[in-house]
Amino acid sequence: MAPSRRTLHEILVTTPSFVWLSVLFCVPTLIVFAMTFKPADMYGGLGPGWTLETLRHLANPNYPAIIWRTIWLSAAATLISLVLSIPMAYYIARATPGLRNALLLLTIVPFWTNFLIRIFAWKILLHPEGFLKRALVAAGIIAPDTSLLYNPEAVLVVMVYTYLPFAILPIYAAAEKFDFHLLEAAMDLGASRLTAFRKVFLPGIRRGILTAFLMVFIPSLGSYVIPDVVGGPNSEMIGNKIAQRVFVDRNLPHASGLSAFLTLAVLVPLAVVWVVQKRTSGQPPTMQEVA
Amino acid sequence: MAEFLEFVDVSKTFGRLRAVDHVSLGVRRGEFFSLLGPSGCGKTTLLRMLGGFEIPDTGRIYLDGVDITDLPPNRRQVNTIFQNYALFPHLSVWENIAFGLRVAKRPRREIFNEVERMLALIQMEEHAHKKPHQISGGQKQRVAIARALINKPSVLLLDEPLAALDLKLRQRMLIELDLIHDQVGITFLYVTHDQGEAMSLSDRIAVMNQGRIEQLGTPAEVYEAPRSSFVAAFIGDTNFFEGRVAEIINDDYILMQIDGFPSVVCFNDKKMKVNDLVYLSVRPEKFRISRERPQLDGRYNLISANVEDIIYLGSHTKYWVRVDEYRLAISQQHGRFLLDEQPIRWKDDVWIWWHADDGYMLERYSEADELLIQTPPEEVGQNGAVPAPPRAEV
Amino acid sequence: MKRSPLPLLTTLLVLVFFYLPIAVLVANSFNASRFGGTWEGFSLRWYSRLWHEREIWHAFRNTMLVATTATLVSTILGTSAAFALHRYHSRLQRFHYALIYTPLVIPEILMGMSLLLFFVALKIQLGLFTIFLAHVTFCISYVAMVVLARLQDFDFAIVEAAMDLGAGWWTTLWRVLVPLLAPGILAGALLAFTLSIDDFVISFFVAGPGSTTLPIRIYSMIKFGATPLINALSTILLVFTFLVVLLTHHLTREHHS
Repeated sequence: MAPSRRTLHEILVTTPSFVWLSVLFCVPTLIVFAMTFKPADMYGGLGPGWTLETLRHLANPNYPAIIWRTIWLSAAATLISLVLSIPMAYYIARATPGLRNALLLLTIVPFWTNFLIRIFAWKILLHPEGFLKRALVAAGIIAPDTSLLYNPEAVLVVMVYTYLPFAILPIYAAAEKFDFHLLEAAMDLGASRLTAFRKVFLPGIRRGILTAFLMVFIPSLGSYVIPDVVGGPNSEMIGNKIAQRVFVDRNLPHASGLSAFLTLAVLVPLAVVWVVQKRTSGQPPTMQEVA
Repeated sequence: MAEFLEFVDVSKTFGRLRAVDHVSLGVRRGEFFSLLGPSGCGKTTLLRMLGGFEIPDTGRIYLDGVDITDLPPNRRQVNTIFQNYALFPHLSVWENIAFGLRVAKRPRREIFNEVERMLALIQMEEHAHKKPHQISGGQKQRVAIARALINKPSVLLLDEPLAALDLKLRQRMLIELDLIHDQVGITFLYVTHDQGEAMSLSDRIAVMNQGRIEQLGTPAEVYEAPRSSFVAAFIGDTNFFEGRVAEIINDDYILMQIDGFPSVVCFNDKKMKVNDLVYLSVRPEKFRISRERPQLDGRYNLISANVEDIIYLGSHTKYWVRVDEYRLAISQQHGRFLLDEQPIRWKDDVWIWWHADDGYMLERYSEADELLIQTPPEEVGQNGAVPAPPRAEV
Repeated sequence: MKRSPLPLLTTLLVLVFFYLPIAVLVANSFNASRFGGTWEGFSLRWYSRLWHEREIWHAFRNTMLVATTATLVSTILGTSAAFALHRYHSRLQRFHYALIYTPLVIPEILMGMSLLLFFVALKIQLGLFTIFLAHVTFCISYVAMVVLARLQDFDFAIVEAAMDLGAGWWTTLWRVLVPLLAPGILAGALLAFTLSIDDFVISFFVAGPGSTTLPIRIYSMIKFGATPLINALSTILLVFTFLVVLLTHHLTREHHS
């Protein structure tokens, strides 16, 4: 059978994005893996031939500490974000329509605000001569020589700050569809408020939680600007190392090796969520909550 | 045969599903014609092929003698009322109705006059400037009708137009549709799964099942003289009997032998011979039921039975009675004031009877069609037992 | 039924957490003091200084150039992708969906890194053009998702209704599809535009000499300390963002009513 008009139309509307993303997304990602086995030349480019040099370098004892820090900071940021966003999403979903719109708007504004500005705002807030530091010292909570900036805690706080809206929006989207009469039904059947919340509400918004998990955890793993601006030497993450290899050492194969590692690391949570979703007969989580 | 609208040997397959299977069908000018069948029977596909939204794999479609099979939707003299009306949400009621004339680039004067006339017809003058989301379901329905009729189509296609409405509104719109059909006098092709709608509106009905037409006829024909067990069970309730011809009584009547059931007299319109296999359908309202043994003359079948279920429905009562192995559904109208009579109760022994002319022999029978027959609701959950379907065949 | 106060408290806490740093930043942009610690009176001097920064204007021009072109291209590609995903459910579309979806979850640094290598391997001169290519690449997915969401509550019977009433392909597109889908496509375009204006990480990786965008400029100001100027610049961008959010919100709301 010759291709029908329908098939031709499908090809017509699919091709532009399909080709663009294949060339500028799939191919570059594959190149990252390939470049790992290329030698670097002296001018910051790529040398001829193939080598395992990069892999040997990745075994450098410095890396495990950085990898470990990347994982625990990301996990902590994800956990804190979920703990904050679940009650907040619950509150927004149960609010009156007017209040709900206002709260959503207030959540979306930081989400749309320039990423660098949000980080910079924290640098100002935590600045040694800034108002927060002075207030805390004056209140006797911290000693005058404590530094609020340039440590892993500052990085964690700013990571939560940056990615929290990404957790609130998908969880809210799920909570909005949740039938709150179910909670009353559960309590009618003898469940306490907490039990009803745990056994009925949380499973009901599972999909939202899984999406939120991905939306926070994955970008966290790739953080680079946050530790770069508010972190110190003891709070470097993989992203910093990649940037360092590109912009400072100009060693592209090393940067590729680290990126390839990070890509694989990112696939792990994706695969986990995919399997969990699949078991509950879902499609992959969507990101339609963005707008 | 050269009908006004004609489907000739039309088929359509989607993947492995044969939605429409070699259908030939003629519709007369000005007729209210219904395609009736369960979901997935192919009725909507047939309608969409007429609308131009699907192209048939085989066969041709003629409208007023012209082959329209390959014409695009915008070049056919037919208009459709869509299931959810498909009103344009960004246009007002007025502009929705005007759409067809606007795209046809008709003079403004004419558009104005025609739209106002249509608004009057559907009594929506004061809602002309509302948007579709500001009007009720019944009003949307009327706008959809006006929007289609303004183009003066040769045929108006209606795809389950009442499905989105609640019961009361559905009944009112049913009357309105009938009135509009009488007023405009164009051909209506109506698709529905609701036998009540089809019966009350149509001049003729085509009952469809699995992509084929099972029977075509007036509402009374398909109800009283179903050709297959599917038609008998899909349109109304019935009781099936399977047996063999035991004896030819005369030219018109035979005696039918049914295993485990008293033999019954029935009208032999199919000219059956001795030992032929017979499937008989007897509708519940053809039965009479009484505690007293009636005095009958003529060709009646009188049988004693035991009452198993009773549902009182006001104007009539439904009984399910047992005769040996068989469970029969019986429906009895209450013509008289019921409280004066001694009522029939659960477990009563009763007499049931029907006239030999009131059963109807089927041409085709399939056991699966018995699932279409209504079962008494309180059966479910009685002693936690799974209900046996009421069956009266061997 | 009495409700737990916990959700309300969390919400308030989060809102304070969200807006405290922003408030301090905005306040400081009007502070005459060079360092944010003390209030030395209201002043617009940072704004006027900003006005005279030639490098910022140059970066701004670059950003606008990239953002408009990338928005235009990605809106066309993303909208067409959304149509394909919505209308067809073939194997090809399952793959297509994965292709659209993955860039949304991949960390920016990986996309920046892979594009840099791609351009280096192909010996493409780094500059505004490579930034444009990169921005289109990540914007397609966002536009496609926004438009797809809008298509999901779009009843395609309306298209059939238009053709049924005599409208041809072009009339249907112009009189029905465009007016109905315009808010969704515009919302997608606005998102692409803001994302492009905001992007730092990917731009930084694929930027070349002379192709400094506004975020890259801001980054170097942050790193090399021109604090009060960034306060002022940030405040301007915040106001801009707020207007865009309101506009998008309006577009979305109108559709749902």
